[in-house]
Amino acid sequence: MRFSAWPWLAALLALLLPASAFPQSMTLCRAKPELLELGNSLPAARKAIAERKQLRVIALGSSSTSGYGVSNPAYAYPAQLKMGLDKALPGVDVEVLNRGIGGQDVEEMAARMQAEMKENPASLVVWQTGTNAAIRQMPIEKFTRWLRNGLAFGKSLGADFVLMNLQYVPAVVAAPDKEAYEKVMAAAAKEYDAGLFRRFDIMRGWYKDGMPYAQFVQLDGLHLNDFGQKCIGKLLTRSILNSLNGP
Amino acid sequence: MAAHPVIASGRDIRLDLFRGLALWFIFVDHIPTNVVSWFTVRNYGFSDATEVFVFISGYTAVIAYARMMQREGWIRAAARVYRRVWQLYVAHILLFMAFAAQIIWVSIARDMPSLIDEMELMGLGENPYRAILAAALLQFRPVNLDVLPLYIVLLAAFPFVLPAVIRWPFVVIGVSLTLYAATCHFNWNLPAYPEGKVWYFNPLAWQVVFYVGTACAVLGPQLAWLDRFRWPLSVLAGLYLLFAAFIALSWHYNSLQEITPAWVARQIYPIDKTNIDILRFLHFLALAWLVRVLVPAQAAFLRWPVFHPLRRCGEQSLLIFCIGTFLALSAQIVVSYFEESLLSQIVVSVAGILVMCAAAYVATWFKSGGSAGSGRTPSAAEAVP
Repeated sequence: MRFSAWPWLAALLALLLPASAFPQSMTLCRAKPELLELGNSLPAARKAIAERKQLRVIALGSSSTSGYGVSNPAYAYPAQLKMGLDKALPGVDVEVLNRGIGGQDVEEMAARMQAEMKENPASLVVWQTGTNAAIRQMPIEKFTRWLRNGLAFGKSLGADFVLMNLQYVPAVVAAPDKEAYEKVMAAAAKEYDAGLFRRFDIMRGWYKDGMPYAQFVQLDGLHLNDFGQKCIGKLLTRSILNSLNGP
Repeated sequence: MAAHPVIASGRDIRLDLFRGLALWFIFVDHIPTNVVSWFTVRNYGFSDATEVFVFISGYTAVIAYARMMQREGWIRAAARVYRRVWQLYVAHILLFMAFAAQIIWVSIARDMPSLIDEMELMGLGENPYRAILAAALLQFRPVNLDVLPLYIVLLAAFPFVLPAVIRWPFVVIGVSLTLYAATCHFNWNLPAYPEGKVWYFNPLAWQVVFYVGTACAVLGPQLAWLDRFRWPLSVLAGLYLLFAAFIALSWHYNSLQEITPAWVARQIYPIDKTNIDILRFLHFLALAWLVRVLVPAQAAFLRWPVFHPLRRCGEQSLLIFCIGTFLALSAQIVVSYFEESLLSQIVVSVAGILVMCAAAYVATWFKSGGSAGSGRTPSAAEAVP
């Protein structure tokens, strides 16, 4: 009985093989051009580049910023952003500080923002948040309050802000009202004159185009894998450059 | 001393065989883009080779040290455990060095400074002195070097659990489960480097796999008690494996994803690896149960020559693990050099496994007297995990 299973197993494997082996190459890394508009011209960053030939970016966030589970920390999107900006802005001293701490959400990040900014005054802060709140069902009023507190404080220090919203992955898609958090982030970005990097829509685009989750998500159904991180890093770089070079 | 008629003597071939298989899987899965990894468990369910490796390590730890403790006393057994912990530590540090050296060598030889850049971003370049200190303290474990530190921590605690697990295996399971639950609930973890990082395999959570392994080794024949529920348990395990396979395949096929009910997704995600999600652990237990049912220890086919290389690799697990981790990096570099062609993936996977097997045979040959005159008796070392 045991051995009669082999042909079935072989057939199953044969069926599976064509969809296998996820290429790391970035040819699959795409997004609609309108999703790469941050909606902000990043004046502080422009000024720092023009006057001091310097750009310091703080990547504030949780596990996807810290690069949880990627096979090499260089694939995490802040590192990719640094490489991309270095290439695109020759002669400018670019620094990207990875201040991602796994498991945190908006309230812890807003609370440590003062310390982060004091230690390393930056002209641009990429603030990745919302995912943990959506998964843990943080009350939406609380989320809104902390997000706005953080933005108000950060902007008062004169830095540009780019909010990076939720990732489109099984754990988030299963959360009942992830759109509510997304909306709050979009509204807050508008109100505080911050950029919005629409990670959720970009990644949903990948999925809707037929890309399986395994191409860009780790097997835990939550974190971005090597490809996902690299691609988000590339697209974020492109969005920021669009803003810096735009009108 | 004989509180319990402890521990069946004679080597359980299944342990070596499945540990060897786990080592092959770990190697194949550590190559990021690899079609061959489709043959490994992780694509068909929640758990992967890590659970197999850790469980069997716990199981064999009891087999290796429990009788030693009963014959020669706790102190001798504990000393032997710590000698093993030291070997693991040395192996880990050596692997760390070899890993770094390989990256540096490749980037110099191939004139690819980007590789060194990546290495810098691993934490070495920013502050090499602190990174080296953190590596010595096991806090800094770049890339795939997380498994051995986990094993080191688990085995270092083992002498203190050994006397208890021999007498009261169920108490140990209970304590272990409690610690696991508390760890998940309070989000405990050990400090890591750089700051803000955690142990990718959290020892406080993963100990549950190891110590359930030790308890199973102690309970050994008594587990036959479970055979009264053989059918219902097997059916349950089978159904759970099917469910897990469905979910795992839905990560690869969006059509399957669409038909997964939202409330199921809501319940299962995220399937945490750092704190070994309960779904992963149950998946491993279901697998282990079915293996126990389908592959009896005395099964003749276990001795078939085709399985020889697997058994040899399982017997030399530390050496083979280190070689596999080192080669996975080489394989990654080769595969990316050939632009991720399918052929290169298959060739490096097969070549890597062949090298691992060759190393295992050489090591076995050495142990069996190839180094004639060293006067080492193989008996005690045989069962070392």
